Amino acid sequence: MTLIGFSTGALSLGNFTKALSLMRGTSMTAVELSALRLPELPTLVGVAPGLHLGQFGYISFHAPSRFSAEEEDNVINLLDRLPTEWPIIVHPDTIHDPAKWARFGGRIALENMDRRKPDGRSVEELSSWFKKLPNARLCFDLAHAHQCDRTMTEAFRILLRFKDRICQLHISELDSTGHHFPLSFGSMLAFSEIASLIPKDAPAILESLNPLREATDAKQRGWIEREACRATEALGRGVATMGCPPDAGEILLSSAPLTA
Amino acid sequence: MSGSTFAGQGGSPLAELGQMLECSWKNIEAAWEKTLRTQELLSKIIEGKPGSETSVIVHGSVARQECTQGSDLDWTLLVDGVADASVQQTYLVVKKTLSSEAIFKDLGLKPPGREGTFGALTFSQPIMHFIGGEEDSNSNTTRRVLLLLEAQPVGIRKEAFDRVRKGVLKRYIDEDRGLLRRSHADQSVRWVPLFLLNDFARYWRTMAVDFAYKQFERGNEGYALRSIKLGVSRKLLFASGLLACFWCDPGISKNVDQESSKQGLVSCLDSFLSLTPLERLALFFVVQIKASDSQFMRDTARGLLDAYDDFLGLLNDPEKRKHLNELMPDDEEGDAVFQEARAMRRRFRLAIQDVFFGGDSPLHQHSIEKGVF
Repeated sequence: MTLIGFSTGALSLGNFTKALSLMRGTSMTAVELSALRLPELPTLVGVAPGLHLGQFGYISFHAPSRFSAEEEDNVINLLDRLPTEWPIIVHPDTIHDPAKWARFGGRIALENMDRRKPDGRSVEELSSWFKKLPNARLCFDLAHAHQCDRTMTEAFRILLRFKDRICQLHISELDSTGHHFPLSFGSMLAFSEIASLIPKDAPAILESLNPLREATDAKQRGWIEREACRATEALGRGVATMGCPPDAGEILLSSAPLTA
Repeated sequence: MSGSTFAGQGGSPLAELGQMLECSWKNIEAAWEKTLRTQELLSKIIEGKPGSETSVIVHGSVARQECTQGSDLDWTLLVDGVADASVQQTYLVVKKTLSSEAIFKDLGLKPPGREGTFGALTFSQPIMHFIGGEEDSNSNTTRRVLLLLEAQPVGIRKEAFDRVRKGVLKRYIDEDRGLLRRSHADQSVRWVPLFLLNDFARYWRTMAVDFAYKQFERGNEGYALRSIKLGVSRKLLFASGLLACFWCDPGISKNVDQESSKQGLVSCLDSFLSLTPLERLALFFVVQIKASDSQFMRDTARGLLDAYDDFLGLLNDPEKRKHLNELMPDDEEGDAVFQEARAMRRRFRLAIQDVFFGGDSPLHQHSIEKGVF
């Protein structure tokens, strides 16, 4: 089974209930529960065990993208309450004391960063993190790698070096200021260049910002299917003979892009 | 070579070659040390000025790690980002900082040359998009090829430089349709990027033609010094570029892990070109001597590095440099300094010929098949 789905934050920022309801009734088989903003964490951790997630063959959890050293212990304790089979996606630059995160072992997946961040972008920078957390896995973010290096050479190097650590993928388009968007032809072309190096069974989580947030649920679900199809095509994991279904012309672009 | 100067640079192949040949090149080493001090000072004074979308880049002898007394401080501010007029403010503050008289006094450098290629803003888009065609002006070609062959970002903000260099390399690789394909004739894979090689060759010929242009334009001013530089440091630049193209062939680089993919070649070139031109030649010698030790390779390496060491010694002698700079073509035949320089240039030329065309050189076949026609 191809494991593909969305980050809840990309579908409905700050409203995981809505995001999950949108995915219900689609063919999505994977989900990432997103608590990118620190205040979202306690709530999401609290309700997580009771969520209806039976449709998904893969579930991961995204840790907050910013917290202080004083808040780090609390963040770790909250994350530790999550089901142990859920990988926890962490931005390396958010970690203040790596020793505290060692308790998660292989449950932690460090994410390669975009170019706004001073660390975690290249093979060398990721290597230093994997020395600190030797059992950690990798959440390979194709959009971040593409933003750092349009030639995908650094992506290629990361894959050669850390392919065996990959736990899941992040896919979307990212502009130069770090905002996520739906996949474009250019990003699909770039991703397809290194797709053969990506493990075929790595779950793919889309972070493409839902451009139809104001539209009907049916239209949003249609977009979800199309975007997943485009990601599948970019990853070289097969596509319908006639390609992905075309946009129906109902795109109502949002003016509030999601920042990673 | 003691190895001490280069050891701090992550194990330069120059140090390794010096140990292999039990040689010492004191002028190369002195120039390297002076360049390190120069780059350190430049890094300090431009700190906080460039950002993620701009890089301050030095070219010429400062980029080659070959600073001598009177070297030019050739720099550009490379811009790779969203359209933003405020980048002009960054440029002006960098220009003001790098124009300070104190810098030239402290570092013994000269301001950028008069052609206007340096000391200026450079935008990534023309460099990457206009390769060949009407829009690829002399200065655009110069900036692009120097970005690959002779450029060093100053300070910690080098992201823009890294992105643009890889982007330019990718263009040469992407557009080279026969690259990495098997030959119909003998089933061999073509590893050598010919589009890139042709642009390096074009730039080398452009430099040679511009030598005559400057002679015409400036009434022979600085003729003798430029003539020696053209035959040594400029030739080294082209030779190291040609070698970079041949280095993509794992039969030359002896890299058994070389990936047969576009990104694999970009990565290989990016890594090789991050060395200085002289280091690229040194790495070639080190790898060949390790793979199959031969007296030919040792003699060629020693001959090339000895000649280049003499070249830097000459440039670092203020009296000889000034003398050559003022020498007129009609006076060169009887001039002792010029004869000394010419003899050194000839030794360098012969060594370079041996590297690429010597019967025992592993580059011999590539040079004939791809380097000339």
